[in-house]
Amino acid sequence: MGEKRTQKILDRNAADNVYLHRDFHGALCNAIRYLDDTFGPQAVTEYLTRLGSTYFAPLSERLATEGLSALAEHIRSVMERENGRFTIDRCEDVLTVTMTECPAIAHLRRTGQLYTERYCETTVVINETICRRAGYTSSCVYEPGQGRCVQIFRKGNKDDFLH
Amino acid sequence: MISCTEFIPAYSELFNYLHERGGKEAVVRFWQNLSDAFLTNLRDLAASKGLAGCYEYWSRTLCEEAADFRMVLDEEKGIFTIEMRRCPSKGRLLEIDSITPYPGYCEHCDVLYRRVLEPLGFEYDIDLSQSDHARCLLTVKKKKK
Repeated sequence: MGEKRTQKILDRNAADNVYLHRDFHGALCNAIRYLDDTFGPQAVTEYLTRLGSTYFAPLSERLATEGLSALAEHIRSVMERENGRFTIDRCEDVLTVTMTECPAIAHLRRTGQLYTERYCETTVVINETICRRAGYTSSCVYEPGQGRCVQIFRKGNKDDFLH
Repeated sequence: MISCTEFIPAYSELFNYLHERGGKEAVVRFWQNLSDAFLTNLRDLAASKGLAGCYEYWSRTLCEEAADFRMVLDEEKGIFTIEMRRCPSKGRLLEIDSITPYPGYCEHCDVLYRRVLEPLGFEYDIDLSQSDHARCLLTVKKKKK
């Protein structure tokens, strides 16, 4: 008679799986709401500006030296990895990203996780911070919760485009 | 959009930001809030399936995070363990040059999961003594009646 097996074992190496844990979008969404509720909207801006200035500093440097192609490459890489629906258009010195299905919002909706309308500020503020440090400017027009937006990037400061 | 593959540095920078605003207490308060608001899936699985629910929860999340680990569920002995040989989160933080990892980064795993599991009647322990090398040992036990 064999001994009754009661153990379940799962043993994995890093190379056994692809790194793509989409629930992290939900954790970030919770973090944005927490900052808003606890400290106010300025805290969200401060935190995201900090993140854009530290973690994304190498991307700012690439944007400054290589131009908009560096940004286009980064966004394409992220969106393809996460199966977003998007187009990227480059016309002279303007880069336009049209998002028709944001993969983060799609995942939050699909799994019934928290969604806050302020979530898209992650895109707005991070883009602005990356661009400002590189001598570029950005805009992002979005409809909260729809998973759609239009992001525009161009060289120069915001003041250059006011007239 | 911040990619889910860029979440870990974003998380660490959030801890740094909160610490600068209100010290360690502000960071711990956020962890407690996140545990209550976000870990409902672990709470539901552990409540309905016991240690097998823990196994089910972490077998999905750790595979999606491409962790290097060995997980053992022993229902007869009433114990569940995760030997993390290379934590994907701490491992990444150690490799990123453009940020300084939050010094108490790994402690969030203690606060978040303990807060879910102990009220459900489990004993929870995490050995973070090797966390500087992205290694740890998590243990969940059924409380003896």
